[in-house]
Amino acid sequence: MPLEPIFPEQNQNSLWRPVQPAEILRFVHSLLQAYEVVGAQRKRGRIILDQLQDAADLLLEFPPAVHSPKKFLFPNWDQLFRFKLDNNILLEAETTTPPRIIFGMHPCDLHAVKILDDCLFEGETDSAYRAKREATLLVGVDCTPDEYCFCTSLGTDRIAHGFDLFLHRRDGHYLIQSGSERGKQLLYNHAPEVVADAAEAPLPLQIKQCSTRLKFPAETLPALMENAYDDPVWKRLGKDCLGCGSCTLLCPSCYCFNVQDKLEVNLKEGQRIRTWDSCQFDQFAKVSDGENFRSSQSDRQRHRFYRKYKYLWDQHQRTACVGCGRCSRECLSHIEPTEVLNQMFADNLQPERPSAPGIEYQPQMAEIIARKKLSPEDLLFRLRLPEKFTFTPGSFIQISVFGLGEAPFSIASAPDGGREIDLVIRKAGALTQALHRARKGDMIGIRGPFGSGYSIDKMLGQDLLLVAGGRGLIALRSLLLSLLARRRDFGRITLLCAARSIDSMLFREDLLDWHRSGEMDCRFAVNEEENEWGIPSGDISYLFKDLEINSQRTIAAVSGPPGMYRHINPLLFRMGLHDENIYLNLERHMKCGLGKCGKCRINNVCVCECGPIFPYSSIKHLAEAIER
Amino acid sequence: MKKTRIGFFDFTGCEGCQLTVLNLEQDLLEILELVELVEFREVMSEQAGHLDIAFVEGSVCRQQDREQLKKIRQRTDILVALGACADNGGVNALGSDRGPELMCQQVYASHLPHLQTDPPQALSEVVPVDYRVPGCPIDGHEFLAVLQALLLKRQPDLPTFAVCVECKLAEYPCSFDHGEICLGPVTRAGCRAICIDGGDRCRGCRGLIENPRTSPYHRLLEEHGLTVDDILDQYRTFNIGEQKSES
Repeated sequence: MPLEPIFPEQNQNSLWRPVQPAEILRFVHSLLQAYEVVGAQRKRGRIILDQLQDAADLLLEFPPAVHSPKKFLFPNWDQLFRFKLDNNILLEAETTTPPRIIFGMHPCDLHAVKILDDCLFEGETDSAYRAKREATLLVGVDCTPDEYCFCTSLGTDRIAHGFDLFLHRRDGHYLIQSGSERGKQLLYNHAPEVVADAAEAPLPLQIKQCSTRLKFPAETLPALMENAYDDPVWKRLGKDCLGCGSCTLLCPSCYCFNVQDKLEVNLKEGQRIRTWDSCQFDQFAKVSDGENFRSSQSDRQRHRFYRKYKYLWDQHQRTACVGCGRCSRECLSHIEPTEVLNQMFADNLQPERPSAPGIEYQPQMAEIIARKKLSPEDLLFRLRLPEKFTFTPGSFIQISVFGLGEAPFSIASAPDGGREIDLVIRKAGALTQALHRARKGDMIGIRGPFGSGYSIDKMLGQDLLLVAGGRGLIALRSLLLSLLARRRDFGRITLLCAARSIDSMLFREDLLDWHRSGEMDCRFAVNEEENEWGIPSGDISYLFKDLEINSQRTIAAVSGPPGMYRHINPLLFRMGLHDENIYLNLERHMKCGLGKCGKCRINNVCVCECGPIFPYSSIKHLAEAIER
Repeated sequence: MKKTRIGFFDFTGCEGCQLTVLNLEQDLLEILELVELVEFREVMSEQAGHLDIAFVEGSVCRQQDREQLKKIRQRTDILVALGACADNGGVNALGSDRGPELMCQQVYASHLPHLQTDPPQALSEVVPVDYRVPGCPIDGHEFLAVLQALLLKRQPDLPTFAVCVECKLAEYPCSFDHGEICLGPVTRAGCRAICIDGGDRCRGCRGLIENPRTSPYHRLLEEHGLTVDDILDQYRTFNIGEQKSES
């Protein structure tokens, strides 16, 4: 059932009235007769947000440090239901939400409520939150930013709708604006003398000034974060962070929670409650067998920043941060979002590229320095590039011949930081036929590298099982050469390699060398009954017979024709390999390499950007990935 | 159904933890419906045989204490350390950096051999301890929660996060903001930041969290002008055992 918006967009006939402090006092006094009114007030020498007893205690000008209204809309202790232990009887929650007014919300906190709405109304509506949200009227008030506020960088220093009433501060008095029918009704019922006043002209949105700010437009945050996953800044935050969770607890839009049972003393009944949790706590991503999916404080801080500035932006097109500064104001280690993000922005400044139109599609020229026949259809080319070249094994490059176009090819050599790479070109269409005619010394166009390949770091200390079918060996050769370059850093290496025939098998000399080297276990199969190598006849699944691996410490890299994965994956699962330890090579037609043309998409995932090497765990939900 | 038999015992300590249990008043009466209190020196003189749960307060300072504790261990299924002294030596362990004679001399300024004790030990240094209720004194509600869990044959769990969490939730002002050194960032929560509420700072009576971020914490203390010795002094009031095992 589609949800009715709680706040309709601000209607044109907003009510605008001047209102004097004394009138506000009478208004609040009247509200207190009918509602629970929550507001900032002084208690025991501190300013806190709490239920108001006396209208005279309400503060309308208070510092941004006061806790956010999340305290009332999504409280730390919320009963979900009650139960009786004896006969396992479930009872409704006891909580009824009183009609409530939060009187005095800064614009940033009103924005934060929109974020909570985004998240808690999405999918299955959170009914406990909805009940409170519906029973609560929000009255906004202007504020003065302090040195921690950075709302102006996020556009949350002002608000046009999302409140029932808003008090704009003028000289010595306020201008009250209605933002909803409910708000207007509130004025009619509880401040008729204000409504009776002459209307004032609507104020344009008031823009504030913050000394703390982002040095770049907030809209670039998601793109900045896209490339910042391995930024050194996370390590630094991990070292600085006390893990106390204050940042998330005080955040007006953090809503992650824990659910637990609390029993009455008599042990006969109890309640299931939810309490705030924090992604900064040790146990937040820990599961019962002891595994912790974010085991270091760096991981946890990174997660927090990604949630705030990337993940929720991707879903709802706004940051989940409103720049209220509560996290940095209370952080004993002085972790400040603007400082972190500005630093990240400075680190990621790309060297100025020539900005001629279309430059990203223009190839550079590379020289063919060697060519060698690998099979009747396949030639191995060694290219010398104009400059040094880094890539991860499994990445690809675009080769072009003017007049015939461009096509992607896997890099067959290991990244060594130099200028030379190997490519295998199979004679198929016009472009590859032209390449087969090219000679040593000829120049061809290259563009790239593109894509995301195998993570060697994840493989350190692990056993490796490489499964190559046919031309799938090309990408795996790049990986295998990288592994052999630092053989001692890895455990057992097993290569299963199959092809149609001995003749069609690529890199035959390499295969024999590897087999003889004793550094790895090589097993081969071909579809020929009688063959010159005297190896078994059958498809690649034949090589899994008698294969013994330690599934807990093995990472598999499977690369072959699309149909192969359907047969091989079940064998790997049966051996007990984890989803995240199975890497598949899901090459598609990666035409532009820039994540734009759309030709290589598997469902919504762009292969040229996120792949072509994917851990199974990241693509198993994609219907087009393997089952087609 | 047979009621769970529980007993309370004490060694060197102020008995404030047992007093906290007695102060539970109505809740205590309710829980007594579910258990059989068979031994509790504070309120009764009987001696029972086998126990399901023994709550033991105080640190262990003499040979005869050690033997008595071993006997309690033998006749109880579950042994719970009640309060800081039992849990990690508590304030009693403060004197463990000097010999018993010197200590006696410093405290009483005279030679009193009958008052000399061995360095105070936590219960777990003498017998296996199954569960713990930390704090000086314990938090009554946490005691109830541990007992409830044991009655339901569930693993009792203590908060894994720091006192800062409860302090922020209660909207208390940060001790560091008014120049006080506070152990809240590394101390296990569960006390609802009661000392901060009372205008004091956290002195770490509930022991350190499992994964205290000591390096940023020490950096913070250094920012506030503390030396390494000052920092150790901060820990020393309640966390001598833990500091020993960490170094």
